[in-house]
Amino acid sequence: MADERSSKVSKLERKRSRSPVDTNSSTKRAKVEKTEDSDDDDKKAIEHNPYLSHWNDGSNGFSEGKLPVGSALKHFKRRQTTAKQASKAEDGDNNPFTGEPHSEQYFTILKARRNLPVHKQRQEFLDSYQKSQILVFVGETGSGKTTQIPQYVVYDELPHLNHKMVACTQPRRVAAMSVAQRVADELDVNIGEEVGYSIRFEDKTSSKTILKYMTDGMLLREAMHDHTLSRYSCIILDEAHERTLATDILMALLKGITQRRPDLKLIVMSATLDAQKFQRYFFDAPLLVVPGRTHPVEIFYTPEPEKDYVEGAIRTVLQIHAGEAEGDILLFLTGEEEIEDTCRKISLEVDELIRETDCGPMNVCPLYGTLPPHQQQRIFDPPPAPFKKGGRPGRKCIISTNIAETSLTIDGIVYVVDPGFSKQKIYNPRLRVESLLVSAISKASAQQRAGRAGRTKPGKCFRLYTEKAFKEELIEQTYPEILRSNLANTVLELKKLGVKDLVHFDLMDPPAPETMMRALEELNYLACLDDEGELTQLGSLASEFPLDPALAVMLISSPEFYCSNEILSLTALLSVPQIFLRPAQKRREADEMKNLFKHNDGDHLTMLNVYHAFKGILGRGEDGKKWCHQHYLSFRHLSSADNVRAQLKRIMETHGLDLVSTDFSDRDYYTNIRRALVAGFFMQVAKRENNKIYRTLKDNNSAVMLHPSTVLGADYDWVIYNEFVLTSKQYVRTVTGIRPEWLLELAPQYYDLESWEGQKDVKQALKAVADKMRRRAAMKAGR
Amino acid sequence: MASDEDDDYMNMTFGEEPKANETSLQRRQRLKREGEIKGRVKSKAELAAEEREAREAALSKSMLEGAQAKKSKGLAMMAKMGFKGGALGSKENAGARVEPLRPEMKDGRGGIGLDSERKRKLRETAESVEKKVKIDENEFRDRVRRECEAARCERQVYAAMKVCERMDEEKQASSAAEGEAPGKKRTLSTRPLKSIPVAWRGLVRTREVERDQRMKQQSSTPRLPMYEDDLEDEDDKKAMGNTLDSYALVQDLDEEDPELDEFNALEADVKLKQLVEYLRKEYRYCFWCKFEYPDNAMDGCPGLTEEDHD
Repeated sequence: MADERSSKVSKLERKRSRSPVDTNSSTKRAKVEKTEDSDDDDKKAIEHNPYLSHWNDGSNGFSEGKLPVGSALKHFKRRQTTAKQASKAEDGDNNPFTGEPHSEQYFTILKARRNLPVHKQRQEFLDSYQKSQILVFVGETGSGKTTQIPQYVVYDELPHLNHKMVACTQPRRVAAMSVAQRVADELDVNIGEEVGYSIRFEDKTSSKTILKYMTDGMLLREAMHDHTLSRYSCIILDEAHERTLATDILMALLKGITQRRPDLKLIVMSATLDAQKFQRYFFDAPLLVVPGRTHPVEIFYTPEPEKDYVEGAIRTVLQIHAGEAEGDILLFLTGEEEIEDTCRKISLEVDELIRETDCGPMNVCPLYGTLPPHQQQRIFDPPPAPFKKGGRPGRKCIISTNIAETSLTIDGIVYVVDPGFSKQKIYNPRLRVESLLVSAISKASAQQRAGRAGRTKPGKCFRLYTEKAFKEELIEQTYPEILRSNLANTVLELKKLGVKDLVHFDLMDPPAPETMMRALEELNYLACLDDEGELTQLGSLASEFPLDPALAVMLISSPEFYCSNEILSLTALLSVPQIFLRPAQKRREADEMKNLFKHNDGDHLTMLNVYHAFKGILGRGEDGKKWCHQHYLSFRHLSSADNVRAQLKRIMETHGLDLVSTDFSDRDYYTNIRRALVAGFFMQVAKRENNKIYRTLKDNNSAVMLHPSTVLGADYDWVIYNEFVLTSKQYVRTVTGIRPEWLLELAPQYYDLESWEGQKDVKQALKAVADKMRRRAAMKAGR
Repeated sequence: MASDEDDDYMNMTFGEEPKANETSLQRRQRLKREGEIKGRVKSKAELAAEEREAREAALSKSMLEGAQAKKSKGLAMMAKMGFKGGALGSKENAGARVEPLRPEMKDGRGGIGLDSERKRKLRETAESVEKKVKIDENEFRDRVRRECEAARCERQVYAAMKVCERMDEEKQASSAAEGEAPGKKRTLSTRPLKSIPVAWRGLVRTREVERDQRMKQQSSTPRLPMYEDDLEDEDDKKAMGNTLDSYALVQDLDEEDPELDEFNALEADVKLKQLVEYLRKEYRYCFWCKFEYPDNAMDGCPGLTEEDHD
């Protein structure tokens, strides 16, 4: 259910300057040097703590890991505290962790916190937590579990004493950042100090950090270098019901680690009542359920299936606006383009409605993952005021991808319109294509969506399908990501994590054998795994990069082609969403602007041209934002590519990979780059069949067309592509022309003509190329 | 091998022998045609269909079986880890997935359930069509023959009715000539329908109904100029079609006539039989001989049916 963009996109986490839920907490606190006063109690606790053997006793006067003077936690015994004790500590005048006086804001928040449903069960939680190593916790959205449970754990775990942190994972970057910020406020500390977060390419933690929010992918990366996660004493897997790839793998890993480390506690938190599966998986762990704060939601179905779900959705929104009582609307659609389009249509229709009837104003706000943060912020604005005093109330209508299904809490929603679709990643090893397809949601998803209507008061959910279709056509649960993904990257990670037996690795939902087989083959062709299935040096290095194996291999081998600087830029560019903008009304202008950067040999080089121009503008100190606007480029994505590049550069430097460039005036400048591309993407090649039809090579073997967005000008019979787009038609997107000689030269394993099967014409063509190469080599030798 | 080549060395044909009877013009046309077929850019729909087919073929073939699988390095690695077919995962975790998920391509913006609804309707119509299609050739031939027969019969019924009418008129005329004064002819149209024998009453009735409708239509859709032109004389009116012919309507045209309905409901051959009998009885006329016999014995007529007259 994660907000899924293109596979490449989700690989890298993009930095965001501000999180959407940015509670303003600029209460500045002066830094106070800690005194060396240490109580005897503390000393005793330290002596008795088996995990602090490595800990410096702090005789030099400044030591972390000690409580501030007079801390309310002084007499706490680790894993033996009670809710009462904790409450008392929270009520104190001074912050028990920093020793500084509590701010006014703290107490206001504390009052609100005590009202959360989860607070009533604090003692119950502690009892279960202390008794069991693994706990399954179910709390519906709005119960406060994500913010409160980690704090309860911190008060019981006392991480500052033993230098072991509490980690709480989130499937989404944005959530990790915003929740960390919120919890820092609740604990009255500065973000990045006691409470921090760690997301890909951004680590906001320090040596003081005791509670760390992080993406599940980030914890997995840490596990690669620290197989037992020894830095943590408790790990909380939040939103486990979303079943992201990383969460699934973490669960399997932690299942093993908890066996080996009896001191490590694990809490699996889920928002749905499908908890038995988690319990069963984790050795029948105890379950704790906290009810959410929800109101009843009335559900309506359509009598007939919709002919056009978007039209149906627009009609329904207008009907709600015209006829229903006050309350905001949440409409679920599938993608950016569809959402923007619908926003426009609804706005126009509402204007019409206002002219004709006395209905109130309506703010229509889009919401999707790639939306700029300041625009995402709009969803939290209050609804517009009525036109005149006593007039019909204004309304807010949020049109969102499934990002609003679980992860974001938007108050004020009373009406939910659910057409029943979302974009979902799907991978099939037989087709070898990972694609985002608009698919029907699951029953669980539909219930989750309906639940969004009942956050503030009783609500209504309008499902744009029949009750029969709901019962018969929707699957029970959304398939976990691990069943819908190409596992090449995952297998590489698992290898790096030291998992020897991939076949019997105890995943909650193991993937199909063919998916595993395909991933192993791919890694073998990329020389990341040897024929025995062992990690090679290249593979080990590739796993250090938060990239798809093909991209990582391309990047690692780029110094050999004297263009690692350029390939580094290109890798960054391929890791962010599309940098070219093409607004619906200004397609022609946008295309003209894109032509300014056009490189005849293909899209990769065109992107590189854009990046170089962008850096040039920034280098001259000009306004990059304005320049991007003029040229129909995404400033945000270009800047984020710039940031990703810097991060990747650091990894390259750490591993001693040279950053080199061919001289720009050299005629091989672009050829070298194209050859380096082949070194990574030799498995994504298409050969022209006739005029416009290409055929992807070897086992891929499907007829494709070049995506209309391509700039590829020259007549190339052989192209590499970055992405296979599967819709009702098949396209390859982001293509660059190559020479067939390079395939034979750079990927002889994959293009081995001896063992070639099928695609006879391709074999013949490659054979001719091979002969030509041989003749030329002979001629050279003869000279 | 070498001997084969030796045998062949005098062969003067190069590749396929051109057809002897093909003229250069024909050849050019043929080549053009072939070129067109080869060079034709397939329509998007055709391409999409081909892709779909290829996709389906690929999707339904497991990669774990067949010759290809034996060569797969990936499978070899998995075998090394102890893979023996079936699903992955720990042994306790039974019921894991063996088949990969199938991607379902969605065309257009149809809502959930629309496709299955469409399919259901399509199936239903297909089924009902199927039922109709289940007619074999013999049945068809039979049916056509029966239809022809019926049509012929109907025509004969009509002809017989006409004969009846004619005979009746003749009879009336002769009786009038015998008894009453000539010129006081009673037209059929004014005669009450019920007084006409049911055998041929239908003929008159249909004619009358048609005339009635025609009249009504004429009077309800008058020509545009509805004013009376004083300058028009009778001839003008006639030429402009403005004359309103006054018809004497049959008095009981609108009345129900169960007797006639019953007769009309009969099969054509039964009706014909009745008509033939009626003609024989009333007028000593044989419909098949086309002859009015002088006496009731009707000497010389072979029989009642058409076959008798063959």
